[in-house]
Parts: sequence; structure tokens; C-alpha cells
Amino acid sequence: MNILTLLIFIPVLFGLIIALLPSSVRSSFKYITLLATLIQLGISIWIYIHFKTGTAYGGINHEDQFQFVQKLPWIALNLGSMGKMQIDYFVGIDGMSITLLVMTSLVLVIATLSSWEIKSNLKGFFLLFLLLDMAVIGVFCALDFFLFYLFYELMLLPLYFLIGMWGGARREYAAIKFFLYTLFGSVFMLLVMVGLYLSVTDPATGNHTFNIIQMMNPANYSGQSIFSIAGHQTILGMPARTVGFVVLFIAFAIKVPVVPLHTWLPDAHVEAPTPVSIILAGILLKIGGYGIIRICLGIFPEVATTGAFWLGLLGVISILYGAFNALSQRDLKRMIAYSSVSHMGFVLLGIASQTAEGVSGAVMQMVSHGFLSTMLFFLVGVLYNRVHDRGIQHFRGLGSLMPKYTAFVMIAFFASLGLPGFSAFVAEAFTLAGAFKSPTVNGLLPYWMAVCGAVGILLGAAYFLWTLQRMFFGTESLKGGAVWKIALTDLNLREKLTLAPLALIALALGIMPSLVFDKINDSVLALIQFLQLK
Amino acid sequence: MITLTDFLVVSAVLFCIGLYMIVSKRNAIQILIGIELILNAAILNLVAFGKYDKVNNSGQIFALFAIVLAAATTAVALAIILNVYRRYKTIDPNDINKLRD
Amino acid sequence: MEDFLHSIQILNYTVAAVALPLLAALINFCLPAKSKAAGWISTGAILLSCILSAKVFAGVWNNHEVHAQHLWFTIGKTEVFAGVLLNNLSVLMLLLVSVIALPVHIYSTAYMKNDDRYNRYFTYLSFFCFSMLALVVVDSLVLFYAFWELVGFSSYLLIGFWFTRDKAVQANKKAFIMNRVGDIGLLTAIIILFAQYHTFDIVQLFAEKGLIAQSIINNGLWVGPTGQIPALWQYVACGGIFLAVAAKSAQFPLHTWLPDAMEGPTSVSALIHAATMVAAGVFLLGRVYPMFTETELTVLAVIGCFTAFMAATIALTQNDLKRILAYSTISQLGFMILAMGVGAYASSLFHLATHAFFKCLLFLVAGIVIHQMQHIKDDNELDIDPQDISHMGGLRKKLPLTFIVAIIGALALVGLPLTSGYLSKDGILIQAFDWSENRSGWFKIIPIMALLTSWLTTFYVARLIFKVFFGEFRLLKSNPDIKLHINDGSWQYKLPLVLLAVCCLFPLFSLNPFSFEHAWLFKGLKSANFVESESIYHTFIPIVVNVLSLFVLYAVYAIYARPNSFAFPQSGFLYRLSYNQWYIDDIYKRFIVKPVLRLGSVCFWIDRRVIDGFVHLLAHVSGYIAKLSAWADQHIVDGFLHLLTRIVQRIGNFARKFQSGKVQYYLFSMLVIVLLLFVLKILI
Repeated sequence: MNILTLLIFIPVLFGLIIALLPSSVRSSFKYITLLATLIQLGISIWIYIHFKTGTAYGGINHEDQFQFVQKLPWIALNLGSMGKMQIDYFVGIDGMSITLLVMTSLVLVIATLSSWEIKSNLKGFFLLFLLLDMAVIGVFCALDFFLFYLFYELMLLPLYFLIGMWGGARREYAAIKFFLYTLFGSVFMLLVMVGLYLSVTDPATGNHTFNIIQMMNPANYSGQSIFSIAGHQTILGMPARTVGFVVLFIAFAIKVPVVPLHTWLPDAHVEAPTPVSIILAGILLKIGGYGIIRICLGIFPEVATTGAFWLGLLGVISILYGAFNALSQRDLKRMIAYSSVSHMGFVLLGIASQTAEGVSGAVMQMVSHGFLSTMLFFLVGVLYNRVHDRGIQHFRGLGSLMPKYTAFVMIAFFASLGLPGFSAFVAEAFTLAGAFKSPTVNGLLPYWMAVCGAVGILLGAAYFLWTLQRMFFGTESLKGGAVWKIALTDLNLREKLTLAPLALIALALGIMPSLVFDKINDSVLALIQFLQLK
Repeated sequence: MITLTDFLVVSAVLFCIGLYMIVSKRNAIQILIGIELILNAAILNLVAFGKYDKVNNSGQIFALFAIVLAAATTAVALAIILNVYRRYKTIDPNDINKLRD
Repeated sequence: MEDFLHSIQILNYTVAAVALPLLAALINFCLPAKSKAAGWISTGAILLSCILSAKVFAGVWNNHEVHAQHLWFTIGKTEVFAGVLLNNLSVLMLLLVSVIALPVHIYSTAYMKNDDRYNRYFTYLSFFCFSMLALVVVDSLVLFYAFWELVGFSSYLLIGFWFTRDKAVQANKKAFIMNRVGDIGLLTAIIILFAQYHTFDIVQLFAEKGLIAQSIINNGLWVGPTGQIPALWQYVACGGIFLAVAAKSAQFPLHTWLPDAMEGPTSVSALIHAATMVAAGVFLLGRVYPMFTETELTVLAVIGCFTAFMAATIALTQNDLKRILAYSTISQLGFMILAMGVGAYASSLFHLATHAFFKCLLFLVAGIVIHQMQHIKDDNELDIDPQDISHMGGLRKKLPLTFIVAIIGALALVGLPLTSGYLSKDGILIQAFDWSENRSGWFKIIPIMALLTSWLTTFYVARLIFKVFFGEFRLLKSNPDIKLHINDGSWQYKLPLVLLAVCCLFPLFSLNPFSFEHAWLFKGLKSANFVESESIYHTFIPIVVNVLSLFVLYAVYAIYARPNSFAFPQSGFLYRLSYNQWYIDDIYKRFIVKPVLRLGSVCFWIDRRVIDGFVHLLAHVSGYIAKLSAWADQHIVDGFLHLLTRIVQRIGNFARKFQSGKVQYYLFSMLVIVLLLFVLKILI
């Protein structure tokens, strides 16, 4: 049994158990789910420890350099004169996926722990939750485009219901908006996927293939096929490969999200229940970034290079625009949602720089943001659970009422605004270093982009500290008066146990960034080399 | 000299009178009389055309058969009318429209 | 070999000196909230740090440099090292910080003893010491940045220590954000240096024959041994470093956070916002000094001079005891920056050291005074601001020791002979005049303004001292029946004062009380090519400065200390300008804070109306299209089908009429049809 396959399908197994159990034992469902995610976490840590590094394990465009690979023929249809249709079940990981995989497993544990607040229709909730769990893990492992797409779409369904059924007041609006936005991207992705399938042949079997790694090799494209590099085909008068890149990029940019494709995020985050917010911010956004690295850059490297300026520009706009928006929010959750937009802008900027520092910084930022946004949304959930209000102006002086809570909020806020010692600092600093190095190394980005990105860090301090000052410091004054004062109890043990590991990991990654960098370095270098060779 | 044409004309007139009676009369008995008239018109034709078969006189023989059968059918028809009258208390065919869909 | 062992030992001492406060912070963090052990744990840790620093200092000062590093992480092909760099500059700072921190810790154990969050205070304080000590010894720009921001963070925590006070939390937010502006500058500079030289190592970059020294600006390009980028970015890097310095060391235009930062406990102000952290900017300049070109140094000098002058004029009219000292700090930091700008590298750092002692001392004095005023306020339930010097007066009799040390500190700040301040400040003034000597006339303004500033300094310091300690107790005049039982306080107050007061006198720095060039500190830091100039300024300046200072002193005494004294008019433009701190805060609020917030709202408006509006428009348009197609479906496609069926239905109904059930009718129909057939037959 392949360990990755096990990792992917464990949730389904536990999902079946929950499905078969009668509703009378519904209080045990959360423990079953917790067990599933904990086993997953254990497995992913095992994988992390046994993940080999070195130039022989770079991955990216070398199939033999991936680890924990499993490749099974899955769908094979003989289409007569059109050849054979071949879709493989093909999973494997390299440096780009390993850290995200571990991060995802941990975030899922946290999300389960925050599901304690869910009171209605537990069976449905946890079934969908586990289905989502499988899909997100699958996305990070899949190396066959078809399989990737399958998992990618499979995420949407549970999320739609999770937001639409367990969400806040405007949940239907948010769920539909989220669903349509994402579907808009992925439908066109399907077309490009089919186009790629028809363009690429597997040299080993001579069949068309969905294998992502084979798609990275220009030699595998048949001469006059639509996405052939030598063929210079056009779609609607534009070069076909540019169109393909843009379509895939839009699909992932919606997930990241990149301004101006981001407006689903504040609504979805605000309306979603806490565990779903955590998964959305912690994992879903990373799938966008991961997709851009693995698919957009991997399959269309030369378009990514020519379009790097625009990617970087979008990144910078996201950073600044998200930060300004966060500055003017009155809802705590919405403020954090916009801060996510700002932070994910760094990922795009780093990727666009196409330097080792930039890409490493981007991956680090994804991991770091995974933990920190989880923490932030969990904290908002704690407050919302107690008084069902999130208005920044409705609270004041929480510091004296809930000292432990405030301490964790401060840790999360300062870590997010890039205080050295926490992971976000390393990530942002090296993303910017990469972006600034880019003009001298490969001439892709202008110098000013890094400087603008740095201004984003400044604004980050502004909105986080302002919120801190308004909500947590000062003399105590609550909108709900004495009722709220009784309701606002400090953190309980479960909440502390949930938050402490996140804070510690953010700290550990800030002090020992090598925990991430050591594992990803070979892949990053392989990617950079691959991009330079094109 | 009375020719075949004269017979046929008489027969046609009889047929037309019978037809008219069938279509327009409000009494089943009168309709029955109309039917008899048509029958007689036919019999008249048979007899008239019988001149072409002088050996076997098949025209006359068919006419006799027809007269006998007409008597029989009239009896049956009268029985039906009687039954109809018993059931509907009328023999006006306009009021008996159970054949409608 | 012995050398090597020696180095290892020094490194171990250094690491221990840095790590001990961190350890103390961690222990304190875990202690129960009101535990009084926290104070002694922190004090013990800083005492040990102090001893270890002294050992390190003895081993390194004027001896060989120690530099050791360890691979921290690898990113791409870049290896980032973490290490320790000990040279004269860093060991001086190491010793200075720990020596100043020790009395402040002792003082704090008494000053904070009634606070509910006593152990939290010492957690923060130890954490600050750790960051500050680490800042001065690290060898990599990344680490430097990290600790640079961590000192800012601990300062944030301590300014907002009383977080229920609105003013305090607004001040700490302001401090952190303004410092962030500087941090961004520093980060940009570090990134530019990294892009240019591919390393973060301070030694490689700034050593005597390091990468910076080998670089030249040529033809609009900044050419270094490892590559070239447009020269603009050299200026940006220097500008970034300047921003960092201006933010941390409270120079114009980023100085306004420091006066507000006085909302923190006074002991904190003494350590962080007077002696150590604010000096970090000057220290940074010292670290990266080779980067600056001649022009950039001149800009530095102008800014420093302007800040010194501006802050001194503001200090003239303030009534808040701590605010006066804060502006004085800004002014003195301006002197240091000015010194850096005119090339008086060693004097600048010398002044940093002496200033640290006397300003810390003055703040501790202020702390005692405020503490006692608070007592009076609490005992008598008065509604007064305990920091307002217009309530004070005549305290010299009540607080004799405090009074004496305050005088020593004040004299050092003014720079009268026999104090440490005299040595360092006159050094700066003399070198500023030397520097302007070789330049055109306009540059003379700088030393002249500096000279003017030093008299202004005399004025405001004297005003402060006379108003607080001389004359009569003014509060007693307005409230004659208040009870006063105040004193200098316990030994935890007295010991630090005495310690620091001793350090404000000349013997600690130089055996010759009149010549800064003979101070050991100056000798240890001056560059190799420093020439002892024998210009006229060396004798002329000290005399002019001090004689005039004495006049100013007397004038102030006449104005403030005598009864029925003369009062300045408080309505003139200059008075208002000074009292309102040159309106700089208002300008920032109006031209920066508000526009930024407005921009935020505009962005949000765009988000809601334009982007989301577009999405909603799409949704509505597709909704309308759907309705349209639904209509078409209903009325056109379905309509055609309905038409067909209706026709069939009509025909059916028409045919049905023949099925009346009337036998005669059927017959009639048959007849008609047969006739019709005949007619047709005939017609066709």
C-alpha cells in the first residue's frame, strides 16, 4: 500500500464509518474525524521525516526524482483509430508539495478541533468535511492532470454545502458566489487540459497522456498540435500557449486569490463557519499558489517568463490593495480575510521573480500563512462563538477581560505582520529579496516592485495594530454590556491546546526556517533551472 | 311503350323519396316506411333488369327473395322500435343519441 | 591556539550574556502573575550579563576582532549565516547596554512593585535586554533587522504596558508604526545590498577592504565586485538606512513617536527611550558607515542639526517633565547624527555613551519626582497631572539625593566641564567647525546652529531643574492644606541614581577633563587616519560655549527660581510653534494618516462597487439572459408546439360535431359525401 494513497483515502474510510453509524451516536463523529486527521498528520510527519533531499530528488520535471510515487493504470479505453485513451492514477511528491502537505494535515486537525462549535446535522457536516479532506490532500499529491482536476473539482462540492448549510446570515449568497467564481475558472481549465492531452504523447507508450510531468517536456508535443511550442498555433488570433497559460492562471488566481478576482473571498470567509474559514484560508488559497507553480510554470514556462512582469504587478497590486481594504474594515473576520489577500500577494510576487529566493519565499509564505491564517480565523471564531458579533467597534478593552485570548491574538497579529522570529518575516523578507534580485539575475521584474511590496508590510502593521488598539486595549467597553461581559470567558483548555501548537510552529519556522527550506531547496533550484532552460 | 328508362326513373324517384324520409322524418315508423320505399325501389330495379334474363328469371326470383327478407327485417325493425319506445318513451330518433361518443 | 581558545571563551561569554535575559524572560513568563521573584530573576540575569559583558569587553577592546558564524539556513544557493561579530563598537555597546540596564532593573523592582502585572513587566524588560544585546553583537544584516524590529516590539509592549490607558495604547501603536516605516527602509536597504553583493554578512560588506569599499559609483551605475545596478539604488539604500535611523533614533521627520512614548513606565523611558534603543540608530550608522558617500553624509549632518535645533526649541516650552526630557533626547540624538554626518564618527559614539548615562539618570530622577507627585495626588485626592512641572518647585529640600544627582545629570547634559557631557559634546562641536572650515560659507550654518542648540539646551535643562527643585512648592500655594510626606525612597531608588551619577563624571572616560581626544573611548573608536587638528576651535569653542552657558544659566535662574519672577508672554507665534511641537503631529494627521485611511475606504468602495459591482452585474446580466431565454422558451419554442396542438384540436373538434349520435345525421353526412364525390368525379 502506497503511503500517499493511504494518506489521501484515509478520510474516505473514516467517512464511511461515520456514514454507517446511526445518528444516535452523533456526538462521537467529531472524535472519529479527529482521529482521522490525527492519523493523517502522523503519516504526513512520517513522510516529512523520510523525505529525501539532494539534487537527485529535485522533482519538478523529472518523473524519477519524485518520491513515494504510485502509478497505476486507471482508465484505458481503446478508441480504435484515435489511439488509446489512458488516464493513470499517478501520485507522488517533491519539495514543492511536501511542506504544503504537512501544513495541510495540521490545519485539518485544527479545523476539526474548531468543529466542536457545529451543533446541527453533524453527520452531514463531518462526511462533507472528510470528503473535502481527501480532495485537498489529493490535489497536492496528484501528478496526473486528470486526477488533479478531479480532486480540484471535488473540493468545490463539499465546500459549497459546508458554507451554504452551516454558514452565517448571508450564506446562500456567499456559497453561490464562491461556487460560481471557482467554477468559472475551472471550467476553462478543463478545455486547456483536454487541449494539452491531445497535444502530448507519452514517449513510452505512444498514447496521448494526462501526465503533468510529460507535459513539461517540449519534445513530447506533436508537431502541429494546439499547444506545441514549435507549432505556433493561435486561438482567436492569440498564441495558443499564451491563451492556455492565461486560462490556467485565471483558474488558480481565483483560488489564490489575486486582485481583481478576489471578491468571493471576503464573503465566503465571513459567512463560512469557523472550521471552513480555516480550511479556506489555510489550505484552499495555497492550492492556487501550488497550482501556479506546478502547472502554470511547469507546463508553460516560456509564457510565464514573458508574462512575469504582469504576474509581479498583480502580486504587488494584491499586496497593497488588500492591505488598504483591510484598513477600512469594521468586521474583524473581513479584515483578516483582506489581510489574506495582501499576504498571498507576496506569493505571487515571489513566484513571478523566478529566483531561488523569491520562489522559496513564496512557498514559505504559503506554509506560514497556512498556520497564521488558521490561527487568526480560529481566534475570530472564539470571539464569535461567545457573543455572535465580530464588529471591531463593538469591543474595547478585551485585554483585561480575556488576557490569554489577547495574548494569542497578539502573537497571531504580530506574527502576521511579519515580526522577526515568526515565519512570516522570513517569508516576506526573502520574497522581497528575490523580487529585488530579479532585475539583475533575469531581468523579469523592475526594481520598484520589491519596494512597493515592502510598503505592504508597513500597511500590515497599521491595520493589525489599529485593530489591536481598538478592540483589545483601552478601557473596557462592550456593545452588549453586562451580558457580553459574562459571555466573554477566557480561552478554555481545548482552545489553548489548539492555538499553542500553531503559535509554536510559527515561531519554530521563524527561528529555524531550514525546517522548510531544507526540504524545498532542491526542488526550487530544479524549478529555477527548468525555467531558465525553458 | 314503357321502356326500361321509365322503370328506372320511377325507381329513382322512389329511392329519393325513401332517402328523404329516412333523413328528415321525426318518427321511427316513418323512417321504416322510408327504408321500405328504398327497398321497393331496389326491387323495382331488379324486376326491370330481369328482362335481360328471360331463361332463368333470376331478377324476379331475387325480387321475391328481397320481398320476403324485407318483410322479415321490417318485423325485426318494428320489434326494435317497440323496445326503444319501452326504454325511452319515444320513437323520435333525435332524442335517442346514445350512439354519440 | 591560545588565541583561538581565547576567542572561543569570549564567544561563549557573549552568547551567555545575550541569552541570560532571554532565559529570565522565559522564566518570568511562566511565573504566576503577582510573583515578586520576577524582578530579582531579571535583575540577576542582567547582573550576570553585565559581568560577562565586562569580561568580553576586556578581551576585545583594542584587541583583535572576534567573528564567528554558523550556517543558519540555505535558500536557493544563498547560505545565510548567523553569527557574532565583536569589535570595539559592538563590545562597547554590549557593555553600555548591560551596565545601563542593571540600575534600571534595580530601580524597577521598587518602581513597579505595586503593579498588578509586575512579572509581565520584567518579562518584557528582560526580553528587551535580550533583543538589544543581541542587536549589537550579531554579524548578519538579516539578524540585525530581526533584532532591530524586536527591540521595537519590546518597546511597543512596554510603552503600552498600562494598556487600559487610551493614550498609552495610541502611543505604542504610533511608535510601532513609525518604527515600521524605518524598518521598511532598513529592509529595503538590506535587500538592495543583498541584490548587489549576494551576502548579508556585515564583515564581508563593511570591513575595511570589504565589498562596499571596493565599489564605486560610475556613470550612473553602482559597480561592485559582484555586479552592478543603477546608482539610484545606492541612494535608495542609503535613504532606507537613514529612514531606519530616523525612526529608531527619533530624527526629523520620524521623531514624533518618542514624546508620546513617554506614556510608558518611567523606568522604561529611562532605559529604552533615552539610553539604549533610541541609540540603536546611531549604532546602525556606525555599523554601515562605509556605505555613505560625502553628499549623503552632508544630508545626514543637515538632518541631525535640524532635528537637534527643532527639538531643543520645542523643549523650551513644554510643561510635562518627561516630554521635556524626551525632546532633549531627540535633540541630543540629533547631535550624534550630526557628528556622524561631519565625520566625527568616534565623537558620535562617545556622545552616545555619555548621553546614555546622564539621560538615563535624568529619567530616573524624573521617575522619582513623578512617583512622589503621584503620592501627593493620591493622598490628597487632587486632580492634577503628576508630570506637570508647573505644580512642582522647591523639591530640593524634600528629595535631597535626587536633587544632587539631578544637578550632576543636568550639568552633564548642558556639557559643563568636569562632566562626561563636556567631553563628548564639545568634541562634536569642535569637529563640526573643523568640518565646515574646508567648505563654502553656507555649511557654516550647521556648526553655528549646533552651537545655538547647545545654549538652548542649557536653557531648557536649567528651566526644568529650577522649576522642579528650586523656589517654592507651587502646589502648596493653590492647595495650602495638603499633607506632604515624601522622600528619596528606598535603596533600590538610591543605588541606581548614585551609580549613574558617578558615571556622568569625567574620570570614567578620561583623566584629562578638558580634552575629548584623550578619552579612552574616543581613542578606541577613532579611525586610523584621524588627525588631531590643532585649530583655533579647540580652545575657542569650549570657552565660548561654556561661558555663554553660564550666562544662560544665570538668566534662567533669574527667570524661574526667584520669586515674583518674570514670565514669558504665551501668545506669540514662536511660543505657539514651540508649544505645539511645530505642528508636526497635526500635519501628519492631516496629510498622511487621514489620506491613508481615506485611500483605504476608497479601495473598499472600489471593491464593493466596482469589482463586486462588476460581478453582480455579470450575475444580473446572466439572470436577465436567463429570463429572456425562459420567455423565448415559453413563448416561441413552446408556442409553436402549442399552435400545432391547437390546430389539431380544432380539427378534432370540428370532426366531432359529426358524431352527434343521431342516425339520420350520419346518413345525411354519408349522402352529402357521396354526392360530393360524384361532383368531384364530374368536375375532375
